[in-house]
Amino acid sequence: MLAEALEHLVRGIVRSPDDVSVLSKETRRGRLLEVRVHPDDLGKVIGRAGRTATALRTVIGALAGKGGARVDFVDVDRRR
Amino acid sequence: MRESATDPVVDEATEAAAEDGTDEISEADREPNDREASDGEASDGEPSDGEASDEAGSEASESSLRIEQLEHEGDIAADYLEELLDIADVDGDLDMDVDGDRAAVSIVGGDLSALVGRDGEVLDALQELTRLAVYQQTGERSRLMLDVDGFRAAKKAAVVRIAEDAVKVVKESGEPQPLEPMTPFERKVVHDVVAEAGLTSESEGVEPKRHVVILPS
Repeated sequence: MLAEALEHLVRGIVRSPDDVSVLSKETRRGRLLEVRVHPDDLGKVIGRAGRTATALRTVIGALAGKGGARVDFVDVDRRR
Repeated sequence: MRESATDPVVDEATEAAAEDGTDEISEADREPNDREASDGEASDGEPSDGEASDEAGSEASESSLRIEQLEHEGDIAADYLEELLDIADVDGDLDMDVDGDRAAVSIVGGDLSALVGRDGEVLDALQELTRLAVYQQTGERSRLMLDVDGFRAAKKAAVVRIAEDAVKVVKESGEPQPLEPMTPFERKVVHDVVAEAGLTSESEGVEPKRHVVILPS
């Protein structure tokens, strides 16, 4: 549910919604959601001073409840 | 943090839109009288001036066009939010309205406290994302107001009471009256109340301590 919610939130605010994907991973530090977007949209999902990224994390945190969830924005170009 | 490495890539339009999220309210905050005047006109749906001039016709159609735009903003916002509620399996209905020169959308019904968050922080985040979603579709910055479960409405009512009490004090004492620090939205509410009471007010100080001072006329 969380990954789907995040994917929807991100798709609505980018120029290339079809290039948005969210991967949900269980890590030792809890749930991690990895967001991938078109490289041209990366600035959009991060926003000025990380504002949009913060808004996305806040909403996802609220939906995740007690366990919480971390959200990472993956730069597709620079991924090793 | 991984995102810091990618931070330099910032789309200018987004930047402007994101910036708009807070700053537009501060703008309104600075010119409460202007905003109020245009609000009144827009909500009437036609020019408030009874003595119709030649321009009256075009003004009326302009403002009805504006209302259509705002309704369109509300529709986009409602679609965006409705699907989120669906996915998250949260019960809630969407109300759309036009309030002055803004689209207003509220989510009502059900247990929505999670969507408000501590001091409305989740609500603010949702509002920001919703504005960006509207911007993405229309290419126009949106000043849409989102409310959840009457949270903003209740907050506004409380601030109106504070402002009215302070206006009374200033009218009796003739002395400037500083209020507690408030958010841009709350300051705007105070400015409107003060203007309506025939006094003036200004905002002083720097966030997060920015506050309204009510001045004797």
